[in-house]
Amino acid sequence: MNGKIKKYSPVIYWVLIIALLCLFFTNDFGILDLHKTSLIVAVGIDSAGDEVEVTAQVAVPQPSQSGDSIKYIEVQGSGQTVADALNEINAKTGTYPRLLFCKLILLGENCQSEELFRMLGCFYRRNYSELTALVAMCKGKAQDMLSLPATIAPENATAIQKVLSEELKRSANVSTSTLRSIAVSNYSESRACYMPYVEAYVQGTSEPGGNGDNVGGDPGQQGGQQGGGQSGGSSQQGGQGGQGGQGGEGGGSSGQSGGSSQQGEMEFTARKTAVFADGRFAGILDERQSFALNIIENEIRLAVAQCEADGVHYTVGLRKADGGIKLKVKDGAPELTVNFKAAAQVQGAKKVLDPHNVKTDDVVRPEVLRAAEEEMKTRFERLMSACVENNCDVLGIRKLLHKQHYKYYEAFKEDILSRMTVRYDIKIESMN
Amino acid sequence: MENKISVRQICFIMLMYTAVSKLILYPTVLSYESGRDLLFSALLDFAVQGVIIWAVSFLCSRTDKTFFGLIESTFGNIFARVIYGLFALFFIICAVIPFMEQKLYVHSIFYDTLPSLPLFLSVMFFTVYAACKGFRNIGRCADICLPIFAISIIFIFSMSVGEADWSNFLPVMKTPPAKVFSASLATVFRFFEPCWLLMFMGHFKYGKGDAAKITLSYVVGALIVMLFLALFYGVYGDIACSRQFAIAKISLFFPAIDLVGRIDLIALYALEIVMLFAMVINVQMCVHCFVKCTGYENRAVWSVAVNGVLVILLLTLNTKFNAVYNVWAKWMWIVFIIFANIIPLLAWALKKGGRKEEAK
Repeated sequence: MNGKIKKYSPVIYWVLIIALLCLFFTNDFGILDLHKTSLIVAVGIDSAGDEVEVTAQVAVPQPSQSGDSIKYIEVQGSGQTVADALNEINAKTGTYPRLLFCKLILLGENCQSEELFRMLGCFYRRNYSELTALVAMCKGKAQDMLSLPATIAPENATAIQKVLSEELKRSANVSTSTLRSIAVSNYSESRACYMPYVEAYVQGTSEPGGNGDNVGGDPGQQGGQQGGGQSGGSSQQGGQGGQGGQGGEGGGSSGQSGGSSQQGEMEFTARKTAVFADGRFAGILDERQSFALNIIENEIRLAVAQCEADGVHYTVGLRKADGGIKLKVKDGAPELTVNFKAAAQVQGAKKVLDPHNVKTDDVVRPEVLRAAEEEMKTRFERLMSACVENNCDVLGIRKLLHKQHYKYYEAFKEDILSRMTVRYDIKIESMN
Repeated sequence: MENKISVRQICFIMLMYTAVSKLILYPTVLSYESGRDLLFSALLDFAVQGVIIWAVSFLCSRTDKTFFGLIESTFGNIFARVIYGLFALFFIICAVIPFMEQKLYVHSIFYDTLPSLPLFLSVMFFTVYAACKGFRNIGRCADICLPIFAISIIFIFSMSVGEADWSNFLPVMKTPPAKVFSASLATVFRFFEPCWLLMFMGHFKYGKGDAAKITLSYVVGALIVMLFLALFYGVYGDIACSRQFAIAKISLFFPAIDLVGRIDLIALYALEIVMLFAMVINVQMCVHCFVKCTGYENRAVWSVAVNGVLVILLLTLNTKFNAVYNVWAKWMWIVFIIFANIIPLLAWALKKGGRKEEAK
């Protein structure tokens, strides 16, 4: 028997190879025909009483002779659970019910009254999706947000992902979070988590009055008319526009861009942060509180802060920014130290430019440095007071207590936020 | 004695097959059972097995006989055949969970939408063929697999190390010791490497210091698993217990994956080759035991029979992985402790017929 196997093994080997090659060249093993399928790239979740409404942004590859062309449509489903709604969406799209290509999960404002992990629980079950997807809460309904035409990308899921990007995270302008990061924080001893809060503004508008740190513009009519168009399930937003005018689909852009020009494109920002405690919505941190949170939580390359020194408004760039918190228990009392170190350079000043003096700006004057330190301290203080007021431990202080001062954990875990004293150790030096 | 396998090849087997057989669901289960102290549960199992590996490999320095020969010279031929028959059944038990685990893993990570069982059963062509082969073949496969294993595991580790948060392990040793110990016990059915060494006994030429080399290889394999556990828990923290198929999950957060796609799948495919050889080694051992037990030396027949049993088990237990896993975790530890721990140690009590006598 062994001898026979040995004798015929080269034949068997070549037969197998030829059979596999035949399979390979016929239909890619039949695993996936991209042109016959559609992929969910983003999901929006809204609460509707007892039910949830899920809007999926679906990428539908279109046959094209001039490179890739993808049409993006929104499809809606609803049910008692997110999985019910996804099931309806999958029945409409024919996509296998997994979300491996879903890179964005958007929670509508109306989810604030719901348990966070009732809404998101589905994504953690049975490897339904990878935990790399970005999670954010948005102003208004997620369904409306996903159907807004975007300026900086052909489809708004990508545009929203751009304002939640790693690059922005490194400038302390957004508190990017993923399915993994919010679950790790929420199920830690701190029982709190955060996610960026996305807002949309009409393209080319900006509201004054932020003392230099302006974020905003004309919110336009986000919802209303577009949301109405979605009801009833599958909508092909922009699809007709794209097909009607050749330009709408040119250059591989989506059908969405075809319709967008009529409705007015929108810009997105995510500089505010939604915070959650014990799995429930606890509030929204404004831009400056979010900035302070990002400085503590993330690795920052270049952050920009505003301050006033000698009556002049300065925009200061903070490089090598290194923030963090340390928890000590001194004489039986918890003490939190907020550290921040950075090298500053003047990026702008609200005064008439004198070319001869610009050179001296390279060495930032001590008054400006002190003002920048004071500004940072104010931002950290406001963040801390928001945490205490909402009893929301987004900084992970209970987790620190559990890890580093385990013997005090039981004694302090309930009221550590109000009990601890806070010290600020902020040092900003001139870059040159 | 016929030198069917070299010490180098045994070392490779101890190093990489030990590691790859514990990268799929073992970390998830251990995270669930022991939480942040999962490394201690693993350490306990590896320490016990390491001692037994050393004991068996050191025994090889005292005799040139095979394990069958040792039993035969002490208790007679019939008893030796019975023991080998029992070992054959034991190796089938060893193979069940790795086969089912592989089926779930392949389905979840590589194929996704295709029916899993018919697709996975095609792997049986490979296992039938591989099980026809003897120790020489096992050794050669180990030689081929080591570079594949080394490159792919380094690739995956380097992609995930930046995302691990080592503070996830704090505070250390706060899990009740009973829980850590029960986690070790519940996963003991994954530790059967001393039995492989017992079967290799007498089929390789023992040189000075080989016991240390084999034990050290096992220790390196154990360290790879421990490092993997540390990375896995470092990346996922308290939610690690909910992430199945750990090896395919730890590198997902590597920043370049967003830009270039799942490049980690290249390493995972390569590692899958090694996993298949590690999975099939129990079937190969089983066939060896049946051959020795019955004296019927046609390995192909035994290979078909053993794989047939495994196919029937996979078909009948296809949707009952959790139930099978619970039985193995709750009850099978007794069997594994007897076969993988006690019997290898008792082998020292058998008549050895030392090398010195042969030299004379």
